[in-house]
Amino acid sequence: MKEFMLLVRTEGDHLAAMSAEEQQKHVQKIGNYIGKLMQEGKLKGAQPLDMAGKMVSGNKGVFKDGPFTETKEVIVGYFHILANNLDEAVDIAKANPVFDAGMASIEVRPIKTMEGIN
Amino acid sequence: MTESTQYINKLLDNLFRHESGKLVAVLTRIFGPANIALAEDVVQDAMMEAVTNWTYSGIPDNPTGWLYMVAKNKAINLVNREQFKNNNSSELLHFLQSQWTATPLLDNLFTEKEIQDDQLRMIFTCCHPSISADSQVALTLKTLCGFSIAEIARAFITNTENINKRLVRARETIRVNKISFEIPGGKELELRIDTVAEIIYLLFNEGYSASSGKDLIRYELCEEAIGLAELIIGHPAIQNKSTVLALLALMQLNTSRFRARQDADGNILTLEHQDRSLWNLTLMESGFSNLEKSLAKNQVSVYHLLAAISAYHCAAKNYKSTDWISILSLYDNLIQLDKSPLVLLNRAIALSKVSGADKAIEELDKIKETVPLISYYLFYSTQASLYMELRQFKNAAPLLRKAIELAPLDAEKMLLENKLSDCLKK
Repeated sequence: MKEFMLLVRTEGDHLAAMSAEEQQKHVQKIGNYIGKLMQEGKLKGAQPLDMAGKMVSGNKGVFKDGPFTETKEVIVGYFHILANNLDEAVDIAKANPVFDAGMASIEVRPIKTMEGIN
Repeated sequence: MTESTQYINKLLDNLFRHESGKLVAVLTRIFGPANIALAEDVVQDAMMEAVTNWTYSGIPDNPTGWLYMVAKNKAINLVNREQFKNNNSSELLHFLQSQWTATPLLDNLFTEKEIQDDQLRMIFTCCHPSISADSQVALTLKTLCGFSIAEIARAFITNTENINKRLVRARETIRVNKISFEIPGGKELELRIDTVAEIIYLLFNEGYSASSGKDLIRYELCEEAIGLAELIIGHPAIQNKSTVLALLALMQLNTSRFRARQDADGNILTLEHQDRSLWNLTLMESGFSNLEKSLAKNQVSVYHLLAAISAYHCAAKNYKSTDWISILSLYDNLIQLDKSPLVLLNRAIALSKVSGADKAIEELDKIKETVPLISYYLFYSTQASLYMELRQFKNAAPLLRKAIELAPLDAEKMLLENKLSDCLKK
């Protein structure tokens, strides 16, 4: 099994546009999705990110810590998973209920692991 | 107390007995075995909340589900406290600290299968060989069977302070020795299951052997011991069930006679004088069937032999038709495995039925030195009965007097007094 990081991006806060009832249904869907991954032993961790923060950019000489804008695509959370290969990781990403809620993207990246030192 | 609070308390009592062991087991998995006391506190808290809430708002449609939900919420709140986070880390806790994963994780943990796994883990943790036997029993009753400290004290005829000490010691041993919360595998499982069987049998005997007039709690001890054995047998991780099946059979067969062992005035009735129509046939049937299943492996333990002996007693239509020859031969096998005074005493009774009371008295004289003080009254009373059978009442009377003096329980003293007055009339 290899480790993958799935970075979830949506356009703004995708939950904000939903009614309370829709939100609850959506949360339930995510719960089922996560519960299944856990049962299969494929989840190492998953956390949502708060819709606030700052953007630090530049280099050591010139820092800019500008406001964090919610209008464009933002990372709303991550899934740290185990999968046999990239294809399986992509399939897991495609099944994420975030895609039911509107435009979203998930970046699927293998995690570089420590290799043996000679 | 109003009628409805009374009803709620009764419902809760029932629910508590039934669910608390499960909840404590699951929460111990979450918090870690070093935090068993915390798990117990959370369950206690949830129960208190149920009392308050249900008294005002009425009983919910699904009381168990309600209770689980409260326990889940309390667990989440607890593991997300700074203090707890700083001192504990595990994959489970990591999941419980994320909004996305906390609820799915708890839903997974509270399924029937996971609960069963956790209960079994709890049995092995409570019966870990590094904990002393009396602490093992107390902890098992507290965490798995939902007994209160007062109830355990009553069952063991001791005070709450004493039981509390045993519990504190047990939890500390788990913490200090970093005892894990898991079902052992391979060779270790075989060894550990024997310890578990011993503890269950000890628990059972607390309920079965003595009769102190507090019959209800004693019968419940027997039921709990049976329940624990059933839990083990029902679990797929336990491959070789022979020993536990035999133990279960033994406990069921003995318990089937429980209600017939005392008359209305609380006098103990020996097998000879019991009304056999009071025996619980359903329980007896289960006992027979489990004994049969336990023989499949061609394995013989003390429990197999004791269960078989009990089965012969159960199968006899009346005392007279008891198959003493078979029973004696089982005792002959049993003393190869267990030469304890109680076994030797019981064997002597079987011997007296087969070869005559004088032979049995001879045997008893041989073992007199090896009988520990605590069993002296049984030794004397058994010998007295044998002399009475031989109509040597002059020899029997002084033995009975000694036995009366040493008997620990009033009901036993009474039984012996009756025998003595019979003896003196002759």
